[in-house]
This record gives sequence, structure tokens and C-alpha cells, in this order.
Amino acid sequence: MKTARMRIFTLLAAVISCIHIVPFYILLTTSLKAKGDYSSKWSLPSAFSFQNFREAWERASLGQSFLNTIIITAVSAALLIFMGSLAAYPLARRNTKLNKIVFGLLISIMIIPPLTSMVPLYKMVADAGLINTHAAAILINTAAYMPLTVFLYSGFIRSSIPKELEEAARMDGAGLIRTFYTIVFPLLKPITATVCIISCVFIWNDYQFAIFFLQDQKVQTLTVAMAGFFGENANNLHLVAAAAIMAMLPMVVLFLALQKYFISGLSSGAVKG
Amino acid sequence: MSDLARETQGFQHQKPVKSASLWWMYVPALATVFIFMIFPFVKGAFITFTNWNGFSQTYQWVGVTQYKRLFTDPDTWLVVKNTLLYGIGSTFFQNMLGLLYALLLNQSLKMKALTRTIVYLPVIISPLIMGYIWYFIFSYDGGALNDVLGALGIGPVNALASPAANPWIIVMINTYQYAGIAMIVYLAGLQSIPKDYYEAAKMDGAGGLQPFFTITLPLLMPAVTINMVINIIGGLKLFDVIFALTAGGPGNSSQSMSTFMYDLYFKRQDAGYAAAQGVFMSVIILVISFSALVYFKRKETEMS
Amino acid sequence: MKRLLALFLSFTCMILPGCSAEQSGAGEKQKTLTVYSTISSDSERAVFRKLADSFQKEHPDIQVNVHFPGNDYENMMRVRMAAGDMPDLFDTHGWAKIRYGEYTADLSGMSWTKRLDPNLNSMLKDAKGRIYAFPLNQAKDGLAYNRTMLEKYGIKPPETMDDFMKALRQIKEKSGGTVIPFWFAGYEKSSFAQYYDQFAAPLLITDPAHRYKKQLLNGTFRWTHFTYLSDKLKEMQKENLLNIDAVTAKRSQLIELMAQNKIAFTLQGGTLGQDVAQINPKVKVGIIPTPAVHKGDAPVWIGGERYTLAAFKDSPRLEEAKQFIAFMARPEHAKSIAEATSLPAGLVNVQTDIFYANDYKRYQHIKVQPYFDRLYLPNGMWDVMGTAGQELMADILTPAEISAKLGREYKRLRLQSDSRGAEKE
Repeated sequence: MKTARMRIFTLLAAVISCIHIVPFYILLTTSLKAKGDYSSKWSLPSAFSFQNFREAWERASLGQSFLNTIIITAVSAALLIFMGSLAAYPLARRNTKLNKIVFGLLISIMIIPPLTSMVPLYKMVADAGLINTHAAAILINTAAYMPLTVFLYSGFIRSSIPKELEEAARMDGAGLIRTFYTIVFPLLKPITATVCIISCVFIWNDYQFAIFFLQDQKVQTLTVAMAGFFGENANNLHLVAAAAIMAMLPMVVLFLALQKYFISGLSSGAVKG
Repeated sequence: MSDLARETQGFQHQKPVKSASLWWMYVPALATVFIFMIFPFVKGAFITFTNWNGFSQTYQWVGVTQYKRLFTDPDTWLVVKNTLLYGIGSTFFQNMLGLLYALLLNQSLKMKALTRTIVYLPVIISPLIMGYIWYFIFSYDGGALNDVLGALGIGPVNALASPAANPWIIVMINTYQYAGIAMIVYLAGLQSIPKDYYEAAKMDGAGGLQPFFTITLPLLMPAVTINMVINIIGGLKLFDVIFALTAGGPGNSSQSMSTFMYDLYFKRQDAGYAAAQGVFMSVIILVISFSALVYFKRKETEMS
Repeated sequence: MKRLLALFLSFTCMILPGCSAEQSGAGEKQKTLTVYSTISSDSERAVFRKLADSFQKEHPDIQVNVHFPGNDYENMMRVRMAAGDMPDLFDTHGWAKIRYGEYTADLSGMSWTKRLDPNLNSMLKDAKGRIYAFPLNQAKDGLAYNRTMLEKYGIKPPETMDDFMKALRQIKEKSGGTVIPFWFAGYEKSSFAQYYDQFAAPLLITDPAHRYKKQLLNGTFRWTHFTYLSDKLKEMQKENLLNIDAVTAKRSQLIELMAQNKIAFTLQGGTLGQDVAQINPKVKVGIIPTPAVHKGDAPVWIGGERYTLAAFKDSPRLEEAKQFIAFMARPEHAKSIAEATSLPAGLVNVQTDIFYANDYKRYQHIKVQPYFDRLYLPNGMWDVMGTAGQELMADILTPAEISAKLGREYKRLRLQSDSRGAEKE
């Protein structure tokens, strides 16, 4: 009786998986085909052509792009985690008028359409001589995802970190920063995992900022490198697909590794009242 | 003790009354956001009062002309309508689907981790890549969709050519692509509900769907709020899906405010007007997401 | 906590070397020239890169960084122009005077300017003799067609619109619907803008009995004259002479479809012939000038700039940039880049052996008319025409309504550019 229900559920899950795996299956078949092969997107080629992966790697200097993307994503994530959690602490704990205003301001940033700020931002960065630098990309990405980060951290701190722990530490003579980093921060692991996944994925896949601020081949990220394949007359779908698969692997791995923390982070903090 | 005294004394000397806010802790974050987000946006907003074309070093101040144009342009209302559809329509379907998936995958199934990952996959990969994939699926000649239809004996369709249907198709695809977000948040929410509640309900004789409405839904409300707000903001700002599938076409029939802005700025050399649309869009998003937030927060407290 | 601080500091130290690496690479001994070009196909880019390499060999103290952003070129340039931060050398792709004009250095002192093809004068030169850019090649656009298929069905390349319609109908009939007579990559609005733009010349300019130059330039043009083009396109659509997915097809599909002999005519030229030959050498692509519209008129090539090199007038490396241009202007180099792009060179003393050489030879007596919208329409009409084309195809507007809409936008854009003092000289 119960097992019959479980079996139906499992079947449903399998069906859902099949429906949602279609795009990636097609990506896979396209990446394995040779240049002039126009057979159906559903069919696997008779001869697997891993050549595409090699060619895409070389043509787009994917090695360099990977490095750039990793640096930018990792440093931005680190900045978001350190600055964001620190910023969220007073906003979660001290409900002063100033703090309420600052919190509201930060959250409302999320509505800004990137295009409106694009040109003034570019001019500012260009005037500072920071176009084509990692620093610019890192700072811009950090700024862009700071509101969400602060939002998640403050919700978590407010709902899941008992004030008693901090008060006990203060009574023992600990300074504020020490209190924060030794007591509170370690407890933020679940939400840090959440912030990590969310921001890493966004920054890793960013195209709108990268295409303008990282034009030089030495500093370009994966998304920009891939966009180069799809020029006006270029007909390199097989290379695009191969590059796309290689580019998405790190994020898939990150998600698989952090899944559990991700969900528990959401459930113990943001999602409770 | 003397250490603490010294420390608190130090504090009182260095930081006046405002130290209650501990504002110095969020100064770095705030500064970063101010320099790279707020300041450029405000500067960008000034463009709305000019007739700048987006690339020349010269332009003229035209007062509120662009805003007047905004409100009298029939395209504006078409685009706003689409944007609302994408924001509210997608949110509705995403949440339905996400909730159903979450309920299913909350059971102890062997497949659950795998299915969870697969459903969430489109969220992890770049919208740029998803765009290419949709192109592989929907292109008239040799697209995966038409292959399937051909195998079923139905003729090939040009899926994205109808001005009336395109917005709905985009809503559907957006739902398919981002249902994973709603699913994950609901899963988290479901997991935070203590199992004893259900035990207690069973002992009280509640059966069937009753526990869902009396226990699950009320306790899920925080998750609902989060999902609603995030999905609404995402849907209202929707760009990549539209751009990859129809580029807003045919004509302007499937444009959202963000794709319309993009077109105005980069294709129509109309930067001043584009910026005005941008400001208008921000206002709309602010109003709608704020209202959603207030509405659902209230439901949260009601239901608990 | 100290550990965390240390971690934080080490992260910031990672960024700093990251920043300076890009700038120190250039160093003080080496001067760097950045070049941005819209050159789109792999074969063309390879030739350009080779030329850049030879330049570097001749000038060991100059390093040349070449960028081909593809589809993102225009967007990037717009943002950079707004910031006053243009690359040392950039491509003006048809907009040297109208869009990029205020950022280009005057090249009139250079020796190659004496050999500039007069066809390009209206595009690259102004009344004061200022020269805006160096042409790497010039556009000579008409219709690209599948010669293999036309020969198979015994159809002669058309020279008038009526012949063109006949040819399209014959293709459809004789191929039993397997070959698309006229293919549009309608996902990109520019495909329809291209149709209007090209055929506007034989409709409104070339025939002395139907010449509206003055009216277009002084703003009195009545757009009902334009409806013919929308009518014709709609007619083609109704008779299924266009691809069914005309509104959604993407340009990247062109090569693969042509290589499978599925297309007869299209408006795309460029390196289509070579690219297709690479995949399927049995398919031969040729080009013909744009068919005439009025009786007794001759077909016309639509021309102007295609790929160019302009120098940024505020570049710190202006001298080196000009040296690069002079290098590219040498006859043997101009020849190789033009040949790579399958288009004639922009200089008069350069004979090119291009893919379409035979076609150009056959029609060498045909006049070249500059692109209609660049000369007779206010800035911004191109996109309007593209959108209109999509709306026509999707039955959102009728041909008459299209003309009315174009008329309104024409007036508005004229007003806009007039009030700004226009980007013209």
C-alpha cells in the first residue's frame, strides 16, 4: 500500500527528471557532433567527436577564461561573505531608525535595472583606468549582490542565532568584532553556503557586466569567451555547445557539494518566520 | 574586568551616540554599493532629462519630454502589460510547479537528490547558454521540437512567430527554467516544519488533505513570501529568456521593459528615452514587489 | 579572527597583482595599439591577424592587440563612445560620419587618400575634405543566390523585380517546395531593414522618372510611395515564397541551410560563398545586383563602407595608429584583406581576386548606389524599418499602416537630429 504510493512517486520523479534533462541532453548531442553534421538534435552521433572540446578550449583560450572567472568569482564571494555578514549584524540586531533606513535602501537596490547604470558606471571605471582589470569586475559584482547577501544574513541572524551567546561573550570581555567572528560567524555556516551558491552562480554566469568591463582576452570570463563563437556569420554551434558544457561543470559540482547546506541554510533561517 | 572597562571606555570616547547602530560595521558594504550601484544609477537617471542618443558627447536638456513620451507611447503600455504578465504570470506558475515538486521530493525517494539537481540545473547555468539551448529546440529547421512533432506525424511549427502567443510561451519557458528556485525554497520550508505536528494531527484524526491546509500551508507562508518576492522581481526584470527566444518580437509584441530599454538604447539610439523607461520600470518593480511583500507578510502573521 | 583577517588581506593581495598584470604587460618599452573590428568570419579574422603580426615584425616596439567582439561590437562601442574611451583603431562599418564622426581623427594627410575609390567619397569624406576612415573593403551588395539550384531549374538570375518574382515562383514550383525561394533571418530585425534599404534605391532613387532625393532630404517625402515594398514582401509571404519561419530564423542558420541546397535567394552576401563551399563544395553561391523596380531601369549595386579602420582622435598613440593604417593601405595588404572578405578593395589601384570576382565582372557596368538610409534618412530609421518588417510579416500592421508609421518616425527623427544640430558636418 505504502510502497505502491512510493513507487508512483518515484515514477513521477523519474518523469520530471526526464522532462527537465531535455535541454542538457540536446546540449550534449550538439557538442559531440562535427561541424557539418545537421542530424536531428535528438540523435547521438555515430562517432563521438571530443575534438570539439579540444578545439573550443584552444580557440577561446578557455584555460585563461576559466582562471579569470575563478578569480573573480572566488574573490567576489569572499568579499560578499565577509562584508555582507558584518554589515548584516547591526542591521539584524540593532533596530535603530538609521539602521531601518539603511536596510530599506540596500534592499531597494535590487530593483535597479543594470542598463540604466551601465554607461555612467563604465565612464567612472574608465576614468579610474580600471577597465580590463579583475578589480573592477570584482567590485562591481560585489556591489551588485550585496543587497541579497545582507538580506539573507540578517534574516538568518535574527531568527536563528540566540542573542544569549553574544551577550555571554560580551560579558566575558570580548570586543565586538571578536564576538562577531568567533561566536556568530561560525554559526552562519548554513546561510554562508546559501550565499555562496547563489552569488557564485550569478557571478560565474554574468554576461552583462563582463562584456563591457572585461574586453581584453587576458581578462575575459567564460561567458564572454563563449559569446565570441556566435558571431554574425560564425556557424560554430558544436563549439558553443562544447564550451558551454565545460563552463557549467564547476557550478554543477559546487551545487552538488553544497546542496545540503544550501537547503538547511534556507530552512533554518530565511524561511522561518 | 579592567580590560572590559578600558574597552568600553575606549568605545565611548571614539564613537558617539550613533554607536548603538554599529554603523561602522556596514560602512564597507554600503560604500561599495553606493559607489558602484547607487551613484551610477542616479547619474543614469539624469539622462532621462536629455535627448542623448547614447554615444555622442553632446546632448540637450529637454526637461520632462521623455516622460511625456513615455506616457503617450502606445508601445509603453504594450510593454508594461507584457512585463506584468512575465512578473505575475511566471510567479504564479513557478510557485505552483515549485510547490508540487517540493511536496513530491520531500518524501524519502531514492531519486530525490538527482531529481532536485536536475530541476535546479537551469538555474545554475548561464542564461546565455540556456538561450542557445532554446534555439536548438525551437528553431524551425532542425529544431528538436519540430523533430518530435514530425515523428508524431504533426507538421513542423514555427513556435515563436505569433505576436499573441509569444508572451505566454515565454511565461511557460520562464516557469520551466526557474521552477527550481521555488522548489528549493519550498523544500527548505517543508523541512523546517517539525514532524511532530503531523503526528499530532494524525492522532487527532485529521486525514487526507487536511494536514496540508492546516499545518503545511500556514507554516510555509514565510517561504511563500520569499518566493513571491524573488520571483516577482526576477520576472519583472526578465531579459535573457526573452532576448534568446524572440528578441522581443515579432515587432514589439513580446518585449518586456528591460528588453525594450535595451532596444531603445542600443538599437534606436534613444538613450534619454531608454533611461526614462528604466526609471519607470524601477518604480513599477518597487511598487509591485513592495506590495507583494506587505501582502504576504500579513498573510504570514494571519495564518500563524 | 586574526586568521580571517589574514585570509581577507591575502585575497586583496590576489587582486592587486591581478590588476597590475594587465597594465605592466604593456610596459614602458612597448607601445600598445588596440584595434577593434567587426570582421565576422574566422577566415577573414585570420587574415587580419596575420597582417597585424607582419606589422609587429616591422615595428618591434609596437604591440597590436586585435579584438573581434562579433555581435557585441556596436554595443561596446556605444558605451565606450559615451565614456570618451575609444580604442586606438576601430571599425566604422558604414557609420563613419554619422555615428562615429566626432571620435575619428582626420586622415586626409595620408598618401593613400589620393587612391580612395570615388564610390566611397560620400561615405568617408566630407565637403571640407576631411577623411573619416580607411576602407578595408567596400560593400557591393545585391542578392546572394544558389547558382547550383538556379542552373538546375534553368532559371536566369533576375534583373528586375518582376523577373525576380517569376524566378521565386519557378523555384517553388520546380523544386516541389524543397527549396526556399527567398530566405530571411527575421529574428534579427536588421534582415527586414536590409530588404527595405536595398530595394529603396531602385524604387526611389535610381530611376529618373521616380526620383525622390530632394523630398527625402528636405522632409517633404510622402511615405505612401514606400508602400510598394511592403506590398511586394507581403505578396511573397502570401504565396509562400519566403521561409515559413521568416520572422524567427536566425542568421547562423543561413550557411547550414544553403549548404544543404535549401535556399535559393537571400540578402546576405559577405563570405557566404566561401563558408558554404567549405562545408559542401558542390554548392555554388553567386551574387547579383539589386533588381530594378521600374520599367527600363537597370539593377544597382548597393555600396558603401563595410569594414574600415578609423583612428581615435584622442588616442595617445595616434601616430602609431596612422602607421598601422598606412601599412594596411599598401596595395599588397589591401589586396589580401579585401580578397579575404570577398569584396572589392576601397582603393582604386588594388585589383582583387575575390570569390565573387566573376559575378562582379559580369556586372561591372552596373552603377553603385550608397546605402539608402545612410544618405537619405535621419539617424535611427534603420531599426524602425526592421521592426516594421517584423510587424508586417506577423500581420500586426498592414503595408499602408507601415508606411504611415515610417512616416511618423521619419518626422520625429528628423526633428531630433535637427534640434541637436545633427551629426553631419
